[in-house]
Amino acid sequence: MIGINNIPVECDVLVVGGGIGGLMAAISAADQGAKVVIAEKSNTKRSGSGSTGNDHFQCYIPEVHGEDMEPILREMNECLTGGYLDQDLTALFLKESFDRVKDWNKWGIDMRPHGTWEFNGHAMPGRPRIFLKYAGANQKSVLTNEALKRGVTIFNKLPIAEVITNTSGEVIGAIGVSIESEKPELKIFRANNVILTTGTTNRLYSPKTGGMMFNLGFCPSCAGNGRAAAYRAGAKLINLDIPNTHAGPKFFNRCGKATWIGVLKDYEGKPIGPFVTKPSKELGDITADIWHGVFGIKNKAGEPVYMDCSETSEEDIQYMLWGLTQEGDTSLLNYMDDEGIDVRKHMVEFSTYEPFLIGRGIEINDKAATNVPGLFAAGDEVGNFRADIAGAATFGWIAGKSAAERAQDIKTFEPAEKSSIVEEKKQFYSELLSREAGTANPSWKEVNIALQQIMTDYAGVEVRSEHLFKAGLKYLKDLKGKAISTMYCQNSHELMRCLEVLDLIQLGELIMLTAQDRKETRGKHNRVDYPFTNPLNNNRFITVQEVEGTAEIKWRDRH
Amino acid sequence: MPPVINKEECIGCGVCAEICPCDVLHMTGEDVPQITYPEECWHCNACVLDCAVQAIKLRVPLPAMMLYLEARE
Ligand SMILES: Cc1cc2nc3c(=O)[nH]c(=O)nc-3n(C[C@H](O)[C@H](O)[C@H](O)COP(=O)(O)OP(=O)(O)OC[C@H]3O[C@@H](n4cnc5c(N)ncnc54)[C@H](O)[C@@H]3O)c2cc1C
Ligand code: SF4
Ligand code: SF4
Repeated sequence: MIGINNIPVECDVLVVGGGIGGLMAAISAADQGAKVVIAEKSNTKRSGSGSTGNDHFQCYIPEVHGEDMEPILREMNECLTGGYLDQDLTALFLKESFDRVKDWNKWGIDMRPHGTWEFNGHAMPGRPRIFLKYAGANQKSVLTNEALKRGVTIFNKLPIAEVITNTSGEVIGAIGVSIESEKPELKIFRANNVILTTGTTNRLYSPKTGGMMFNLGFCPSCAGNGRAAAYRAGAKLINLDIPNTHAGPKFFNRCGKATWIGVLKDYEGKPIGPFVTKPSKELGDITADIWHGVFGIKNKAGEPVYMDCSETSEEDIQYMLWGLTQEGDTSLLNYMDDEGIDVRKHMVEFSTYEPFLIGRGIEINDKAATNVPGLFAAGDEVGNFRADIAGAATFGWIAGKSAAERAQDIKTFEPAEKSSIVEEKKQFYSELLSREAGTANPSWKEVNIALQQIMTDYAGVEVRSEHLFKAGLKYLKDLKGKAISTMYCQNSHELMRCLEVLDLIQLGELIMLTAQDRKETRGKHNRVDYPFTNPLNNNRFITVQEVEGTAEIKWRDRH
Repeated sequence: MPPVINKEECIGCGVCAEICPCDVLHMTGEDVPQITYPEECWHCNACVLDCAVQAIKLRVPLPAMMLYLEARE
């Protein structure tokens, strides 16, 4: 039987995930006087997609952009993170984003590394630039220190598996599974306010590099735990139906394509997009940001696509290499040095990466609250707003403040450890741990690969249809049954991966169910049985919520 | 597969095992961390950056090799 720590941890606000959004939520809740705990799967100093750095922070700075926010709002909707944003949340984000920039600058993340507020990259010619270029390599250690300074308790190596609710459907705590030592141990939290910030959902689709499912642009430990736990707790998920893909160097998958200052070209060296022929640090080539299908379309036409920086000035090359360092891409730079790849004379092939969930996930309001009382969410796991690092920073902050305010009204804790879900999960995890390992049963990896195959073929970005979804849902159900009844794990690490895979299957089902309902083609939701993009569905979002054990799907207008 | 630890240089401080975002490395009582799950490495470089004595390097596996050509004139 899996061990359980008998002393539940009590706190006003429990933050699940100590990435950018989680640390900002913890800092802001602590500033409001709340007792805050972060439960983090790995270690807040280096966890998540912001692990080794970022260099672009979307924001509105009136002294740079002017008093009229409208043109910046338009840019938000049309840039790479645009498309599925509630406008009230976007306006709120823009109003607060500069305050977060100033906070970070004050704490020691250099937001003005060249002396001025410098907006470069991710930009179209003749349009306002909204991505602040900053030096984010130290962001995780700085934010961790700020949280600790305010008395936040951080539990590292403590992934959260479930949110616990009471019979009225309000949040009363959470279940964590410690991976600190080889033997897993359950840790129960009593908290009336839980903020989910577990990032993107990766590992749903077959990776570009066969068998290497951790060679990804975004952090592979972000595997949908927050979204799945939120759904099971009764929260609404939104926009899961529209697939999202990122792009970058092939086959060394790393984010940060907009930090490259070059032109996307074909094999002969002919520019692919309409935006730039001579790159500069102000305007790298934005083609891949807004023409999401570029690599697939060109590849199908027999054309590999390259990032060519050979015509970039030496000054801008230096700027780009500095940017890639701040971006957290030092592994890529080291590799290129070792291999003798010189961006001044070599062009590097780029391609699309596998689909994943970012800006598709939990629905929140302007307090970063979900429909479940006491449950909040921020960052990459939110479904109706997205601004990546800046979105995580700004809505993390808002979530922390809202949760702390709510904590002032509810001061008593319910015995979350006595909820039936705790005993139920204890039994199930123990069973996974007790099954025979080796060849007799499937490992989490086997299940993950099987899931990726089904997702790629039945809910992919090339071809989608009613029949594919119906068949895919049946196959996922079969897979889920086998995983639940036969999957094994031998230690805490493997148990964590098993739980990730089960969450991924659940999200896979919800993707198929919602996408089935969108009977039109839109973006990479390529319905061959409904090839038309119906203008009546413009700015209409699909939500899904568990109601009495079934998935209730609804449409709503963007607000 | 990555990471690769130089046993001569490593001082066994355990920092890499503590901070790895993917729980790839573990201190299992020996002097040098064990690379328990090499195939779960994200190539993020955090362990390389945080090792105070530069005892870690990444070896990027061949399926993840970068593809490049001479730039055109
Ligand atoms: C190389 C790279 C460069 C990037 N550059 C930029 C850029 O320049 N500009 C930009 O806007 N964006 C950039 N991004 C994206 C940006 O890093 C993310 O949008 C941002 O980190 C999102 O913050 P978050 O808090 O939502 O998620 P994350 O920072 O990913 O944090 C999620 C956290 O949750 C933890 N976690 C997961 N599951 C659990 C669980 N069950 N229990 C507890 N904890 C859990 C994870 O370990 C992680 O710490 C980049 C990403 C990468 C990888
Ligand atoms: S490169 Fe990153 S994921 Fe790989 S072992 Fe080092 S810290 Fe872990
Ligand atoms: S951080 Fe460096 S010195 Fe410390 S245990 Fe890891 S490899 Fe050894």
